[in-house]
Amino acid sequence: MPKLTIDGKTLEVAKGTTVLEAAQQLGVHVPRYCYHPKLSVSGNCRMCLVEVEKSPKLLTACSTEAAEGMVVHTATEKVKAARRDVLEYLLLNHPLDCPVCDQAGECGLQDYYMEHSRAKSRFPAEDKVRRQKRRPLGPHLVLDNERCILCTRCVRFCAEVTKTAELEVMERGDRSFIDLKEGRALDNGYSLNIADVCPVGAWTSRDFRFKQRVWFLKKTPTVCLGCATGCLTEVHHNEGAIYRVMPRPNAETNTWLCDAGRMVYKAVQAGDRLAKGVIKNGLIELEPALRETASRIDENHAAAAVLGSPWLSVEDNAALARLAKDALKTENFSFDFNAEQGIKDGILINKDPAPNAAGARRVKAACGGLSFGELAAKVASGAVKVLVTEARAAALLKNELKAGGARLIVFAANRSEIPQGAYATLPYANYFETPGTFVNFQGLERRTVPAVAAPEGVRPLWAMVNRLAVYSGTSLHLDSAEAALKGIL
Amino acid sequence: MPFTLTETFKTRAALVCARYPRKDAALIPLLQELQREKGYVAEEAMDALAVFLGLPYSRVKAVVTFYTMFNRVPAGKYHLQVCRNVSCHMAGAPGLLARLREKLGIAEGETTKDGLFTLSAVECLGACGTAPVMQVNDTYFEKLDAGKLDALLEDLRHGRLRAIGR
Amino acid sequence: MENILLKDKVESLEGYFAAGGYRPLKKALAMKPAEITEEVKRSGLRGRGGAGFPTGLKWSFIPKDAQGPRYLVCNADEGEPGTFKDRELMLKNPHALIEGMAIAGYAIGAGAGYIYIRGEFAAEADLLEREIFAARGKGFIGSNILGSGFSFELYVHRGAGAYICGEETALLESLEGFKGQPRLKPPFPAVKGLFGAPTVINNVETLAAVPAIIEKGGAWYASIGTPKSAGTKLFCVSGPVNKPGVYELPLGVSFKELLEKHCGGLKAGVRLKAVIPGGSSTPVLTAAEAMAAALDYESLAAAGSMLGSGAVIVIPEGQCMVKLLQVLARFYHHESCGQCTPCREGCGWIEKILNRLEEGRGTARDIETLYSAADGMLGRTICPLADAMAMPVMSFVKKFREEFEAHAAGRCCAPEAAGKH
Repeated sequence: MPKLTIDGKTLEVAKGTTVLEAAQQLGVHVPRYCYHPKLSVSGNCRMCLVEVEKSPKLLTACSTEAAEGMVVHTATEKVKAARRDVLEYLLLNHPLDCPVCDQAGECGLQDYYMEHSRAKSRFPAEDKVRRQKRRPLGPHLVLDNERCILCTRCVRFCAEVTKTAELEVMERGDRSFIDLKEGRALDNGYSLNIADVCPVGAWTSRDFRFKQRVWFLKKTPTVCLGCATGCLTEVHHNEGAIYRVMPRPNAETNTWLCDAGRMVYKAVQAGDRLAKGVIKNGLIELEPALRETASRIDENHAAAAVLGSPWLSVEDNAALARLAKDALKTENFSFDFNAEQGIKDGILINKDPAPNAAGARRVKAACGGLSFGELAAKVASGAVKVLVTEARAAALLKNELKAGGARLIVFAANRSEIPQGAYATLPYANYFETPGTFVNFQGLERRTVPAVAAPEGVRPLWAMVNRLAVYSGTSLHLDSAEAALKGIL
Repeated sequence: MPFTLTETFKTRAALVCARYPRKDAALIPLLQELQREKGYVAEEAMDALAVFLGLPYSRVKAVVTFYTMFNRVPAGKYHLQVCRNVSCHMAGAPGLLARLREKLGIAEGETTKDGLFTLSAVECLGACGTAPVMQVNDTYFEKLDAGKLDALLEDLRHGRLRAIGR
Repeated sequence: MENILLKDKVESLEGYFAAGGYRPLKKALAMKPAEITEEVKRSGLRGRGGAGFPTGLKWSFIPKDAQGPRYLVCNADEGEPGTFKDRELMLKNPHALIEGMAIAGYAIGAGAGYIYIRGEFAAEADLLEREIFAARGKGFIGSNILGSGFSFELYVHRGAGAYICGEETALLESLEGFKGQPRLKPPFPAVKGLFGAPTVINNVETLAAVPAIIEKGGAWYASIGTPKSAGTKLFCVSGPVNKPGVYELPLGVSFKELLEKHCGGLKAGVRLKAVIPGGSSTPVLTAAEAMAAALDYESLAAAGSMLGSGAVIVIPEGQCMVKLLQVLARFYHHESCGQCTPCREGCGWIEKILNRLEEGRGTARDIETLYSAADGMLGRTICPLADAMAMPVMSFVKKFREEFEAHAAGRCCAPEAAGKH
């Protein structure tokens, strides 16, 4: 446990801690480009040079291990001069196209230039090395080699995280550039992390480019519902529209975020968002839809069934359980989802594509009900005349529904989710719009935080269930998400 | 046309790989071997070698583009590489280069239409005591002057590549 | 004084053997490895590649308790402009290197050695392969050398055209089949080198001196040269002298003696302007400084330059220094591996400023920018290539400033030379 002093403050750190990390523990930010906490140390950018007493040369904080008695200075004139110089070298061949650069506002060059340099260029524009600009590489990314500072974070990401090693620095010296095999797409399932790790505007997201200047974005911390891994994310949005989803690094699940997870928002923001009810393919206002649905359920009261959903929050599953037990007063319900779980690609993507099987099982633990197989058998046999569930969960009983002929009533956020043959579909607020509790494959409870508002009149699923019960003549007293959770978590 | 590694190459490659505890260390010697066979290293050859050694293509390409001795396009029968560094510069390398440009009608980096000569200006060849120096393919020609250069070109035009001694 | 390295009639194994070759190996194999290292320490032998690090000390950094393989690597990637001694040595006395490697391999406990030779030295590589084969035939290389139980394999590995591979960790990367980009240190190669194993990397000239040290003793070797710069050194002299070439002389010899006695003086009509004493990356000396200089590590450091690889580049009056620096800058720009920001960007910047000055497009401010562009690179990169660019720039500008100013004002300082380029 070496003890060292950084800018006059002494601290003790674990063996193997670097000077950069130790400084971070003290709240001292050492500027850096190539260093990334989750990638190997490269030491190439030279931005993190600091003064270490007894060392004749400045040392890179990212690669220097803290040692007993080490005295480090991160803000001496010598250090500041080095930073200024490194910035000057970095900007020599940089195109300085900030006005049309999508990285503007979150660019490492802009930030450190303002903080550490503000020097005028001494390099004639006509001497700049020209490189290839704006090249789409794969479904998600655009590469601008002219803006690249060759920090190799992207190269290391592909070598060390996805282990696909598509990228390399080709050629040498100031003729170097990042490239991959001609004709090959950069599509490794995690490619958008490259735009995140890129400290400048070399790699940008095709989806996000030019949609919004970053300084207008509001950030909401939430959870990814793309699979059972349940990564922590941050939704970036403005004026009711989501523009991108970024990872929120944490020790439990994720540093990164997969491309599919980042694109989940696209589906819920697609043009087919449901704001009204659908009865037999016809859109109708919400209240008449609820009334119609309630009466169809009432017709088959004795033969009604409810299936929870691993795509719904614990709150919404709990509301469905209340619907079955307290309104329909049926034993025909199931919250039993046992898909195999675990990381399937060694990185983040789960074998279980649904985000909340574990949360649904919590509802089962509290409320009982049938096993999934028992309910499926009843649906297939025709004993169930009407089934209430969520759209994607309904697909799990596709064959049984066909065999048994039960009338299907589903909750869906988007029209594209509605299963064929559904009798009634009711909209609900999705989890970019309403809070919900999800239990990931590790058993961690995580809550979504709404980033945007639901369409006019669309309420959380638990509230829709409450209304449905009222139309059936029962009060479930589901006045809040907390009320739905009572007795479950 | 798909590129296939020859049996001769594979036999030789097995021997080269055996010199190292990890076979990827043989990458550069094997690229040299491929260049020896074909005169240059084509994209398809890089691909085939990457598969042969179990390496990502990008690594092979990065190595090929990093080192100056790999030709990525076919070079002429005789690759004239004139040293242009300090000692050769002082000993008249710029004049030799100009003479070659003029006599061959090509600039540095170009190949004559008949495919006989490729001209390159290269950095220090490590023979400064016998400057100016030119390497033709693998052979050094030292203490050159205009007369020796002309004679050498004449020899090469007749297919004679022979060391003239230092 | 008799030459230790550059001898006649030792090109072949027979000749080398007849001259007493491989006796030192036999002697070494009867010693304990640690005793050999001690002997080399006692000799005062220092790295001849340019850095001058004490050789015995370097060997002793191999961790005593290291398990698994260890390697010995010979750096024959001779590429520092002005340097051509290793080529000469390998051509004239290849077995001194081969025997030196066998002894060094035994001293550090290495089971295998690699000679990393620059790719352009094709003939030299073939020659080494041939001579190693011959040495293996006599049992000097291979398994159970001379019945000692010690086994040492030796391989020749050709580079592929990259000056940076002369830097020892870039050399290791290259030898492992990667781009030659220097590694961060620590860990040093003695701890984690080739293929992750403890490794010693020595220059050709360094290793070739080992057999003589073992045969005649460290004290004998230390008695040659100066107290801190022991032994002989191969000086490679290029430029307008009557007899350019490689000269083996005791360290501490004066430049004046080297020039006048050994190289036959300057060519007729040539006047000395400047000397780069240790390869292109070492600071330039004016004629007066050079004529007063002794050629050893300490004396040249005191004169503001370095012994480097012993490459003495003689520059005549009439040679434009701006042009010469441009030639050097073009070289370093071409050879920078591109890893570290200051070197990658700075080398090109410097060359472009010099191009402007050379082409008459420069201004007085360019001279300041040139100097500070070099200053900003100094000591701030992973390897010394940036320094190797910066040092000549700064010394050229300091010592020949009026030539740069003349260029900035639109006239070349040395019209007669200007005509030539």
